[in-house]
Amino acid sequence: MEIPWPKALVIGIVAGFLSGLLGIGGGVIIVPLLVLWLRVDQFQATATSVATISVTASAALITFGVGDSVEWGVAAIVFIGGATGAWFGAKYLDHIPEWALAGGFTVVIAIASVRMFL
Amino acid sequence: MIEVLGYLTLGLVAGSLAATLGIGGGVIYVPALVTFFAFTQHTAQGTSLAIIVPTTIVAAVGHARARRILPRLAVALGAAGILGAIAGARVALIADEQVLRRMFAVVLVVVAVRMALRTRQLYRSRTLDGGTDPSGA
Repeated sequence: MEIPWPKALVIGIVAGFLSGLLGIGGGVIIVPLLVLWLRVDQFQATATSVATISVTASAALITFGVGDSVEWGVAAIVFIGGATGAWFGAKYLDHIPEWALAGGFTVVIAIASVRMFL
Repeated sequence: MIEVLGYLTLGLVAGSLAATLGIGGGVIYVPALVTFFAFTQHTAQGTSLAIIVPTTIVAAVGHARARRILPRLAVALGAAGILGAIAGARVALIADEQVLRRMFAVVLVVVAVRMALRTRQLYRSRTLDGGTDPSGA
């Protein structure tokens, strides 16, 4: 697709800003903006968001990781489960209907909004 | 031992959701580590990031193999994202976090409503593809 650079840069800055500010990945804002504003389909939005987060979270981790605010042993164990889930999730994404992805996403951000407000 | 199984389960659930919904998983890791494993908020956030980085790399490799990533868009988002993250981290030092969180929560509610409408639209077009819509909507 033709990249709408100004919009893409705005989304990137907003997502990164929230990531640095609140310690979140930024996916909760990247995915809906790609879908609703750039009209990217849910599958490509999911994949592109995850690729972006791996970059921005690395930048955030460098800031965090130099202190002693990371339990590396726990992170390693959770990662074993996480990598397994992520691999199968990415492998079988095409088998999930687009409305179910949008619906699942809606539920996650609804829960996240309540948690952030409290 | 039970703790280890708990950590593995947490990873499996959040990793699957991260790869299929396009999120990092921090909205799951941080509260889970605080609530079930007695982490402080700060350590939970740092550890969450340490899990998110390699997990999203695994998910991104899987998505790249399926040719779903829009690479140039990802580069634009990532580059702008790093700049935004540096700015956000600086503002976090001087701003009232509670106020910021609540403002963002309100934004998320609006986003949730828009995504719910989008879900309904996608669901209906699915029904049309399948032929008749029994609800007649």
